[in-house]
Amino acid sequence: MSNFRTFILGLITSFGLPWLLLIVIPVINYQELSFLPYDKDRDGVEGYYPPATVHGQGQLIYIREGCVQCHTQMIRPTQLALDGWKKGWGQDQEPRPVAPVRSNTLRDYFGEKYAPLGLVRSGPDLANYGWRAPDRSVIHQMLYAPQSLHDWSNMPAYKHLYKVRKQQGPNSQSAIMVANREDAQQEIVPTAEAEALVDYLLSLKKDYLVPGTAVATNASAKK
Amino acid sequence: MQINSPSSEIETQADNVRRATIDKSVKGPVLFLFLNAAFWLMASTILGVLAAVKLFSPSFLGDCAFITFGRLQPAHLNALVYGWGIQAGLGVMLWIMARRSGQELRNGRSILYVAGVFWNIAVTLGLVSILTGGNTSMQWLEMPSWIWPILLLSFLVYAWPMVIMFGKAFRPEGFMVSTWYILGACFWFPWIYLTANVCLNCLPSLGALAAGINAWFVHGLILLFFAPVAIGSAYYFIPKITGKPIASADLSKLGFWSLAFLAGWTGMQVYMGGPLPAWMPSIGAFTGTLLLLPVGVVGLNHHLTTLGKHDMVATSPTLRFTFLGSLFFPVTGVILALLSNYSTGVTLQFTHASYGFQIVSVYGFFSMCVFGAIYYIVPRLTGCEWLSVRLIRNHFWFSTYGIAAIVVTSLVAGIQQGGDLNNPEMWDQDFMQLSMNARPYMIARALAWGLITWSNIWFLIHLVLMVAGLGRRSSAPTLLHSSHDDTPHAAHA
Repeated sequence: MSNFRTFILGLITSFGLPWLLLIVIPVINYQELSFLPYDKDRDGVEGYYPPATVHGQGQLIYIREGCVQCHTQMIRPTQLALDGWKKGWGQDQEPRPVAPVRSNTLRDYFGEKYAPLGLVRSGPDLANYGWRAPDRSVIHQMLYAPQSLHDWSNMPAYKHLYKVRKQQGPNSQSAIMVANREDAQQEIVPTAEAEALVDYLLSLKKDYLVPGTAVATNASAKK
Repeated sequence: MQINSPSSEIETQADNVRRATIDKSVKGPVLFLFLNAAFWLMASTILGVLAAVKLFSPSFLGDCAFITFGRLQPAHLNALVYGWGIQAGLGVMLWIMARRSGQELRNGRSILYVAGVFWNIAVTLGLVSILTGGNTSMQWLEMPSWIWPILLLSFLVYAWPMVIMFGKAFRPEGFMVSTWYILGACFWFPWIYLTANVCLNCLPSLGALAAGINAWFVHGLILLFFAPVAIGSAYYFIPKITGKPIASADLSKLGFWSLAFLAGWTGMQVYMGGPLPAWMPSIGAFTGTLLLLPVGVVGLNHHLTTLGKHDMVATSPTLRFTFLGSLFFPVTGVILALLSNYSTGVTLQFTHASYGFQIVSVYGFFSMCVFGAIYYIVPRLTGCEWLSVRLIRNHFWFSTYGIAAIVVTSLVAGIQQGGDLNNPEMWDQDFMQLSMNARPYMIARALAWGLITWSNIWFLIHLVLMVAGLGRRSSAPTLLHSSHDDTPHAAHA
């Protein structure tokens, strides 16, 4: 380094290159991303891909509670990992699906401000949870008292998303039943936030058909 | 220092006066940063214990919203990164830059205090927001979006005088690798931090790309802020204490520029096999593995500089911490390479191993080097010596064992967890086996953070006493080996 200016120039070039190529240009290109149309003849469906985006209001709760610390939302391709063969992790809920769940594309997260891909998989992947989700009340129970469903679970209880109130008259429509409730006179009612979170979880379906890939899927399904 | 002639004695005295003037000029801001950072470190380790306990006993201390794992863990890491890491790093950077470039901090001390106060208020508000529902779930950027401009501005207020000092003292022939690294850190952090925040907080929607940028940010912060500060500090203190020049100038340059060219590409390999365009994680995997080059080069250089002076590692607290910190640098590099490449990376992906990497880099490598620096700098600023050898020794050993335990258990837990996730036998199983298998490691992690908390209590008390001016009044530095206590130490004389 002959002088100060060359040194600074070296710093700018060395970091500016990855900054430009890895961050700035992809970010600009991402703005061009839009819905892809399905071709009725080719794909067998109409409309646009992705057909539905996630429930945004509920995602705010998911993000606020830091669910990403333990849950991922990303299916890895089969040449890397076995995510695609995990039972129930995709649209096909058969006990022995014919094809693995596909890995995700950039458009699967279209419209999300920040895709919560997740940090550690301490709990199951939730990318396609919407397909395998049990009844609403079971999800509420899972959120309110996870250990009442699985005694081994290390999931935190999100009790602050629920209100425990004295029962007035007949059971409230929205009240959830929890197995180990102490007092029969009390009922546990989900708040709007809990409902939104459940809506979000039910909207997690990130393996919709990608336009142009239907033939391969159908062929393997017929085998 | 051997004194031969009266003229050199005068020179030495003039030198000492000059050093004392420089020290005095940065004393206030540096001590302010160290003290606040030490408090944040304490907070972070306590949160670390709690978060680890929450992983195996989720209802510990009740099902209160503030202390669910999803909020505790980011609070713990943000306190570690912003409260302790960057703050203590800035203190070390400022002092080394002033000393190494021979420049006093002439004016603007009050604005440094103001920036420091704002930094701490912002971190406090940020952590409170995370715990009370402002968590953004973007790793290491979990604080609400109005915090980052405050942090960025405060950082720039500190970076500016350092750039000035560097510019004034830049001599093409006099090669100063430690200030190169520190200037790099001054320069890279604002760039990375601004880019990540603009992309993630200001742009409307980036979907999965935002997650990739987030991972890039975390790696950038580790490799282009924490690593340079720690390496710069090691390059300054190892020769200083051993009394030997840095072994090889060429290796130093190679290490610096290879880090500068490679580190900006890494990060997105965290989402290998994910929705990002395949070249992005691939180049991250490639450079993440290739970073073994600067890691090896810097490690070799430090090793060669310390060679033959290993007895000083036993006596000098500064060298001992710095030595261990530099030892953790290759460990960090190897763990990064293991996490980055596609063969071991997919096993360790989405497992506790990533936490192990963050802790080994921020705590094992960076913080140990910074502790070493603090043990050297603080006595020179306060005018008194560290009170107790035993406290320093406790701090060293409990930290060392604690970090080693966290890193080893996180890695082994990662291998276990990754194996369970990819086990064909478990294709139709729920997560019972996985969470049962992870439990012992999480208990070990809680215990390890407990050890570290214990060591930090004493570090904090020791530091508070020093800053309060209650240290030992002595001209002899506090060295770790009692048998050598009366032999004068060349570097500390």
